[in-house]
Amino acid sequence: MNAMTGIFKIHLKYKNYWFTLPWCILLLNFSINWTIGYFFEEEFYTGGLSSIYVYIFIMGTILLHQTFPFAIGLSIRRTDYYWGTAAISVIVTLLSSILLMPLSIIETKFTEGWGVSLHYFNLPYLSDGSILEQMWISFVLLLFFFYLGFVTASVHRRYGKIGLLLLSVAAFLASSLGIFLMSYYKWWGSLFTSMADLSAFQIASWTFPITLILAGISYLLLRRSTV
Amino acid sequence: MQSAVAVSNLTKTYGKVAAVSEVSFTMEPNKIYGLLGRNGAGKTTIMHMITAQLFPTSGELRVFGEAPYENANVLSQICFIKEGQKYPDLFRISDVLDVAGGCFKNWDNEYAYSLVEEFRLPLKRRMKKLSRGMLSSVGIIIGLASRAPLTLFDEPYLGLDAVARSLFYNRLIEDYAEHPRTIVLSTHLIDEVSQLLEHVMVIDKGRLILNEESEMLRGRALTVIGSAAAVESFAAGKEMIEREAFGSLMKSTVMGGIDEDEIRRARALGLETTAVSLQQLIVHLTNGNSERGAVRL
Repeated sequence: MNAMTGIFKIHLKYKNYWFTLPWCILLLNFSINWTIGYFFEEEFYTGGLSSIYVYIFIMGTILLHQTFPFAIGLSIRRTDYYWGTAAISVIVTLLSSILLMPLSIIETKFTEGWGVSLHYFNLPYLSDGSILEQMWISFVLLLFFFYLGFVTASVHRRYGKIGLLLLSVAAFLASSLGIFLMSYYKWWGSLFTSMADLSAFQIASWTFPITLILAGISYLLLRRSTV
Repeated sequence: MQSAVAVSNLTKTYGKVAAVSEVSFTMEPNKIYGLLGRNGAGKTTIMHMITAQLFPTSGELRVFGEAPYENANVLSQICFIKEGQKYPDLFRISDVLDVAGGCFKNWDNEYAYSLVEEFRLPLKRRMKKLSRGMLSSVGIIIGLASRAPLTLFDEPYLGLDAVARSLFYNRLIEDYAEHPRTIVLSTHLIDEVSQLLEHVMVIDKGRLILNEESEMLRGRALTVIGSAAAVESFAAGKEMIEREAFGSLMKSTVMGGIDEDEIRRARALGLETTAVSLQQLIVHLTNGNSERGAVRL
């Protein structure tokens, strides 16, 4: 009980980093794009929305590095740290995806691209599907990027710099091998055809089991981490 | 009575290097322990293992009767203040105290803030902007205000001036009197804390070489000053851990078998006797020449 109070208190101190900062970046980015859109006549597509995904990935890496040694130093169990952080990450990504939704609706339904034909929160393909589907897409993608960062930081926590280095070398070799095999057997064509058949909703949903695996790995790593 | 800490054959190795080897001891509740020894002796490693921040290679470890690893029941009773504690960069002193207050069930917020005043800490300053001494003070405040049944201080005074150090010792003993708990102090400044310690453990090269009540320990050695002949005669058959001659006079510290009769014998020989400081004893025990084991004392 005490441990959970402690871990929530730690994360609440980070509320600006969980919310204010990524939304400031997103909205600043938006205002720049809007200004550009104002001077252009044509339809204007931008990938500015990706900043929030990049941000949450970085948040995942930095958060662990900053708060784990502190929490353990205050006699918080590793398990409690893990679940407390997991709870916060789900709450934040859920709220963010709920907040993104009305912006997407305003953009398409009410303002025709914020009056300047700007496509910022609602992008073709990515924002296809019902309102619930769109929210699900943002939610699982945000959570995926958070845990991608979190698991990277967990490897660092558990195995240090060398572990992280070995992991990146292994990942590089595996992807090189994958690309080589794909080219050698001429699988690219069929991959793209089958990908094209999938909706963004389907692809995003596929990240969810991967996110769960990443989360499980980071749990096992943190359970054996020392400070 | 349930022991606060019980350790048997505790060992921690890094590759071939043994940081802690085959250490066994128990700590009773509500006592102040001194964990003494030179740098790199293994004191910090032992405390990290007691608090489950580090995993033992082998051996048994019980804190309040249970294994501490991921044990909420045990960990909630422990407060470990260590020299290298990391704090989140964006945290201010007030944030750290707020979070600590949420973690320890016996936390006394009023007391914590009164200590902030006494140590003259800037509450709103970020942790990463604090000087070494201020960081130490924050640790000390958490350690005292948490009132955890097992509180461990690992070199808690780094960068602190003499005034702040004595403030720490005074507050520790006062608060301990009001709220008894098991306190473990690891320190180099043995003379400064020797009055506080009820029990002393000395770690050298990863091994426990001394485990004794301070009172008993003080009686174990004696410094005598007098004519060289008288000193030699008194010291005959005893272990001399220090000798210094000036002219016909000699000062010598002897160890083992010191009791009232021996002191009377020394006085009869015309020798002046003084008690030996804990520091002198520890220095002797850990100076590298000594092959002494805890049993032989």
